[in-house]
Amino acid sequence: MIVARDLTKTFGTTTAVDGISFTVEPGRVTGFLGPNGAGKSTTMRMILGLDRPTAGSVTVNGHRYQDSPAPLREVGALLEARALHPGRSARDHLRWLAVSNGIPTARVDEVLHLVGLDAVAGKRVGKFSLGMGQRLGIAVALLGDPPVVVLDEPVNGLDPEGIRWVRTLARDLAAEGRTVFISSHLMSEMALTADHLVVVGRGRILADCSMSEFIADHASSYVRVQSPQLGEVAGLLRRHGLDVAVHDEELRVQGLDAAAIGELVGKTGLLLHELTLVRSSLEDAFMTLTADSVEYSASTAAPTPAGIAR
Amino acid sequence: MTMTDSSRTVALNPMANVPHLRRPGFPQTLRAEWIKFWTVRSTFWSTAMLFVLGAGLTTLVCALAAKDIASGAAGESPGSFVTWGMMFAQITAIVLGALAVTSEYGTGMIKATLAATPRRGRVLAAKALVLTSTLFVAGTVTAFAGYFAGNWFLENEGVGLALSDDGVLRALFGSGLYLAGLGLFAAAVGLLVRHTAAALSTVLALVFVVGNMAFLLPGEWGEWVAKLMPGNAGSAIATPVSFNPLLLDPLPGFAVFAAEVAAVLLVAYGTFRRRDA
Repeated sequence: MIVARDLTKTFGTTTAVDGISFTVEPGRVTGFLGPNGAGKSTTMRMILGLDRPTAGSVTVNGHRYQDSPAPLREVGALLEARALHPGRSARDHLRWLAVSNGIPTARVDEVLHLVGLDAVAGKRVGKFSLGMGQRLGIAVALLGDPPVVVLDEPVNGLDPEGIRWVRTLARDLAAEGRTVFISSHLMSEMALTADHLVVVGRGRILADCSMSEFIADHASSYVRVQSPQLGEVAGLLRRHGLDVAVHDEELRVQGLDAAAIGELVGKTGLLLHELTLVRSSLEDAFMTLTADSVEYSASTAAPTPAGIAR
Repeated sequence: MTMTDSSRTVALNPMANVPHLRRPGFPQTLRAEWIKFWTVRSTFWSTAMLFVLGAGLTTLVCALAAKDIASGAAGESPGSFVTWGMMFAQITAIVLGALAVTSEYGTGMIKATLAATPRRGRVLAAKALVLTSTLFVAGTVTAFAGYFAGNWFLENEGVGLALSDDGVLRALFGSGLYLAGLGLFAAAVGLLVRHTAAALSTVLALVFVVGNMAFLLPGEWGEWVAKLMPGNAGSAIATPVSFNPLLLDPLPGFAVFAAEVAAVLLVAYGTFRRRDA
C-alpha cells in the first residue's frame, strides 16, 4: 500500500507536484495517468526516496521507503529503464542489486528467465534495444519478489507483444495480492490494464476513481439515429425529454438506450435506418479532462507568418 | 484481505518474501559496490595502466639514468628515481576515483544505487572503501615492482638502494597510500560536481598544474601555500628522496593531505545527503 499525503515538490519556482493525496491499494492495478510534465515521475521518485518532498509525505506499507531495511524486497521499481551502466552485463547488474539487499543470487537467473533475457544475460546492456532495456528494468523491479511494484512508463519502447506481456504481468501481480502502481501517458493502455485510476495534470489530482467510474463520468456515450424522417424523429424524442443534437444527417441522442429509443420511434411508425450506441473513446475523455493542464500543447491554429501566408 | 490461491506467493511482510534472507547491512553494500566496481571494463584498464605506467616508467627511467646517477652527472639522489613512474600512475588513480562516482551520475545508475541502498552514508563509505583498498594494493604492488626492476639497473652501477635503506619501504607503501588518497579526493570532487570531465579537469589541474605554479608565489606566505597544496603535501610520502627540497616532510605532509581529502569528502557527503538523486 502506498499513501501520499499533501505531497508537494517544487524545483525553484516550478511546482512539479502540488499537494497531492492518494492511496494505492493492494490487490489491484492502479494507473497513474497524466500528460507529460504532470508530475508523475517526480511523484514516483519521491515514493522511492530519491527526491525529498518539499512538503507532505509519502509512505509505503506505513513507513518511508528510506526506512525499509531491505527496500528492494519491499518495493520493486522500474524508474527510467536506462538507469544502468552500459558497460555492465545484465546479469552483473542484477547481481549487485541482489547482493545489496541480501537476495539470494539464484533469484537473478530466475528473473532473467521471467523477462525472457536468459540468452543475453551476459551481454553488455549498452548493446540492448530499448525493449530489452525495459525488460531488464522490469527484472530489476521483480528481483526482490516485492509486495509493492512501481512501474514508470513500463511499455515505452516495447513492441505489441511486449506491451501485452507487461499488461498480463501487471494483472497477475495484482491478482497475487500485490500493490501495483503504473504510470503512463497513454489512456488506451491504462484502459486495458488498470482497475483504478489516479489522473494528474500540472501536479494536481484531476480524478481518483475506479476505471468504471471514470468511464461512466467522463466517456460520454450517445445513440446515433439515422432516419429519412429526421425532423419528425427529433421532435418526437425531444417531446420525451431526451437530449437531441443534430449533426449532418444524423441525430445524437442521450438519455435513453438504443433499444428504448427504437421502441419509442417504432410505436409511432416513423422509419429508422440506423440506431447505434456510440461511446467516445477513453482517450477523448482523458484529453478533455487534461486539456487545461497540458504543459506543452501544439497550437493547431498557429498564426501564419506574414509574407508566407499565400 | 481475503487470501486467494494466487496470493500465496506473496505475504505483505517484506521480510518473508524470499526465504532464507538475512537483513542486509554494511557488508552487503560493500559487496555490491565491489561487484559494481569490477564489472565495468574501465576499472580493469585503469588498473592495468596504473601498473604499466607506474612500474614501467620507473624501470625505464632507472635504466636510462643509472649511469648519470652513478657519475653524479644527474645531480640527484637515486632515491628520487626508484618510484619515479608513480607520478604518472597518479593520473590513473584520479581517473579511477572520479569515474567510480561520476559514471553513476552520467548513466543515471545513481538512482538504482540509492533505491537499493537509501542510506547514502553507507553507500559512500562502501564506495570509498572499495576504491581506497583497491588503489592501496595496486599502488603498493606497482611501487614494489617498479623498485625491484628499476633498482636492478641502479645496482649494476653500484648506486642501488636496499629495502632497509632510509625511507625506501615507507615510500613503497606510501605510494599505495598516496594513490588511495588521490582516488578518494577525485571521488569526493566527482560527488560534488557530478560530471566526469569537470571532476577530472578540476583534480588534475589542482594536483599537477596549480600545485606546481604555487611555488612561483612570492615570499614565505607563497611558499606555505605551495607546501600545503594537496599534490605537494601528499606526494612526499611516495618517494624516498624528493626532487623538490621545499616539500613538507613525508609524514606531516601526508597528514595535511589526508586532512584536506577528509574535508572535501565531508563537504561532498553533506551535499550528497541532502540532494535529490
